[in-house]
Amino acid sequence: MNTVEIEQVSKSFGKVIAVNELSLNVPNGSIYGFIGPNGSGKTTTLRMIMNIYYPDNGMIRVLGKQVSGAASDRIGYLPEERGLYKNMKVREMLRFYGDLKNGQNIPAQVDYWLERLDLTNWADKKVQTLSKGMSQKVQFIATVVAKPELLILDEPFSGLDPVNMDVLKDAILEMQQAGTTVIFSTHDMAVAEKMCDFIFMIFKGQKVLDGTLTAIQDKYGSDTIRIRTADGRSVLSNLPGIDKINDFGRQQELRLRSGADTQAVLAEIMQRTSVEKFETVQPSLHDIFVRIAGPEAEEATHA
Amino acid sequence: MLKALKIAWREYKATVRTKGFIIGLIIAPIFMSGSGIAIKLLEDQVDTNDKRVVIIDHSNLMADYLIDLAEQRNQQAVYDQENGKKISPAYYFEKQAPATDIAAQRLALSDQIRAKELFAFLEIGPDVLHPGDDRERRRIKFHGENTAMDDLRGWLRRPVNDRLRRARLAEAGVKEALMNDLFLWINVESMGLISVDESGEVKDAESTSELESLIAPLIMMMLMFLMTMMGATPLLNSVMEEKTQRIAEVILGSVKPFHFMIGKVIGGLAVALTGAMVYITLGTIAVNRFGLEDKIPLDVLPWMFLFLTLQITMMGSAMAAAGSACNDAKDAQNLSFPVMLPSMIPIFIMFPVIKEPLSAFSTWMSLIPPFTPMLMLLRISTPMAVPVWQPWVGALGVLFFAVFSVWAGGRIFRVGILLSGTPPKLSTLVKWIGRG
Repeated sequence: MNTVEIEQVSKSFGKVIAVNELSLNVPNGSIYGFIGPNGSGKTTTLRMIMNIYYPDNGMIRVLGKQVSGAASDRIGYLPEERGLYKNMKVREMLRFYGDLKNGQNIPAQVDYWLERLDLTNWADKKVQTLSKGMSQKVQFIATVVAKPELLILDEPFSGLDPVNMDVLKDAILEMQQAGTTVIFSTHDMAVAEKMCDFIFMIFKGQKVLDGTLTAIQDKYGSDTIRIRTADGRSVLSNLPGIDKINDFGRQQELRLRSGADTQAVLAEIMQRTSVEKFETVQPSLHDIFVRIAGPEAEEATHA
Repeated sequence: MLKALKIAWREYKATVRTKGFIIGLIIAPIFMSGSGIAIKLLEDQVDTNDKRVVIIDHSNLMADYLIDLAEQRNQQAVYDQENGKKISPAYYFEKQAPATDIAAQRLALSDQIRAKELFAFLEIGPDVLHPGDDRERRRIKFHGENTAMDDLRGWLRRPVNDRLRRARLAEAGVKEALMNDLFLWINVESMGLISVDESGEVKDAESTSELESLIAPLIMMMLMFLMTMMGATPLLNSVMEEKTQRIAEVILGSVKPFHFMIGKVIGGLAVALTGAMVYITLGTIAVNRFGLEDKIPLDVLPWMFLFLTLQITMMGSAMAAAGSACNDAKDAQNLSFPVMLPSMIPIFIMFPVIKEPLSAFSTWMSLIPPFTPMLMLLRISTPMAVPVWQPWVGALGVLFFAVFSVWAGGRIFRVGILLSGTPPKLSTLVKWIGRG
C-alpha cells in the first residue's frame, strides 16, 4: 500500500515548468527522501501533496484519497521556512496549531512533546524569545502534535546543531516505527543516505532518481576509488583513467573512467606517494547528485 | 468552517488582549473628535490686546457713530462682568480727515500697521448713503494685515449698515420711534415634529439645535469609521506579516485559503463589534446620566450593527486580500490607500449628506454598495425621514457586494499568499480574481 501516489503531475508558474509529468509512489511506513538542487521542484511537489498548490495536470492520491481542495488533518507539514507567531506563548501557539488539525488530546500531546524535546521551561515564554534551534524544535512539535499519519518535512535539519539534529532524527524515527510515513527533503546527502528507505531526486522539474540507495548505487556500479595518501590531493593530478577528483581534505574520491584499470591507477599513485587507504566503492549519493546536477548541485550541497 | 472560527478566535484574542487595543479604544475617539475638543478648549484663548483703528470717513456719516458705539461695546464686552477678567480686546476708533494726497495717507497708515502702531484703518467712501454708478465712491474698505479672518471686521458690518439704513429711513420721513421695530430681528426657530405619546396625547414639538441634528449622525458615522479602522484595516498588515513570516504556509497545511481568510475577517469583525459594544455601552450610560435619552436615535442601532457587520466583511476581505499580495511594509503602504478609499469617500461627503439627506446626490451615493454602510447609516441617523425601502435596498446591495468581496478576496488571497517577489498592483489583483 502507498501513502502517496503521484501520477503524471505537472505544475507551471507562468512560463516556468516547476514539475513536469512526475510519477511517484511513497509506500506506507517508509522514510522517503526528496533531494535536488535549489529550485528543482522539491518544495512545489511537497506543496502539491499538501494541496497548498493545485497541480495543472495529473492526479495525487494521499492516504487513499484523491487530493481535492482540502488540506488533510492526517498530514503534518513542516515548511522550509519556519512560520511561528512571535507574540504568542509557545504552549498556547502549539495548542492552536494542534486544534487546527482537529487533533485529539492536544494539551497532553503538547506537554509530552515539550518534555520530549526539552522545551518545558520555555512553554510559557513568547516565541520571539526562543533561539533559532529552539524555534525549529517548536515548529517540529507543531507538525507532529496532532499525530499525523503522513509527515512531510521540508529541510527539517537545516540550521540545527548536531545535538538537536540527533534529537529530531530520533523523534522522526520513533514516529516511523509507530507507523507514520515520512517524506523529507534535504540538501544533506549523508542524512539522506543514513535515514531514507527510498530516495527521490528531482532536477529541473523532472524525476531523475527514484529507489532505494542500493538500487541507485547499483546503477552506477563500483566506479569510485576512495583513497587516503600521505600527500593528499596534490599528488593526484593528471592520473590516467581518472575523470574527476572529489577532495574531502583527509580523503579523496576518484571517479574511474569507463574501462580504466584500478590496479594501474593504484600503481601510478604508489609511485608518487605512500598510500594509507585504497578501496573501490560505489559512488556516494553526494557524488551521484553532483554527476546529475553538475555545478548547480555543487552549490546546493555545499550551501 | 470550524477551522475558520478557530483562526477567528486566535485573531480576536491576539488583538483584544493587547494594551494597544485598550489604549486605542480610549485614544481613538479623542483623536476623532480632537479638533472639536480643541476648539471648545481653546475658545477662550482670544487675543485680548486692544485694537486701534483709524477711520477716514469721506461720507462724514460714520466716524462719530462708530466711535460712540465702540466705547459702549468696550464697557460691556471687554471685561467679564463677574470676575473682572479681560476676555476680549477693546476697540478704539480715531477719526482722521482725508488728506489731499489720499494715496500718501493710505501708505502712511499701512506703514503704521506694519510697525504695529495701528491695528487697521477703515476708509468709508463718500457715496455710501446713496450709492451711485461710481463703484469706488460707494466702497467701505477695511485695511489691515489679516482682515479677512478678523472679528473686528465682522463686528463692524452690523453697525455700519444699521447706521446707513437709519439715515436713509430718516431721509424718507420715518420717525425715529418706528425704527426700532423696523430693525427688530426675529429668529426662525428649528423645531421637531408634533407626535402622539404612549397615552395617546398629542405631544408638542421640541426645539432642535443645529448641534443636536449633527451630533447623532456624526457619532454613528465616526463609530463606523473607527470600527473599520479597528477591525478591518489591521488585517492588511496582519496578513502581510503572516505571509512574510511564513506562518501562512503552516496554516495552509491545515486550512483552505478561503477559510483562512474568512477566519481573519470574522476575527476582525469580532474586534469591531467588541469596540462598538464598548462605546455604545459607555455612550448609553453617559446619555442616561445627562438625561439625553430622547436625543439618541435608538431605532438606528440595529441598522448600525447590520451595516457594521457588512462593512467589516466587505472591507476586511479587501484588506486581507491586499495583505496577501504584499511582500513588505512598503507594498502594504502603497495598497492601503486605494483599499481604504471606499471608507474615506463617505467622510469627504458627509456634510452635504447630513445637510440634505433626502437629496438625489445623498440617495444615490448611499445606494452605491461600498459607501452604503456609512452613508445610509448617516442618512437614517438624521431627523429626516428616509424612505423605508432605502435602508433595506442598500443593505441588500451591500450584502451582495460583501459576498462578492469575500469571493474575489478569497481568489486573490489564494494566489497571493504563497507568491513572493511580485509587486502588487491593482491590475495584478484583478488578474488574480480571474485566475483564482
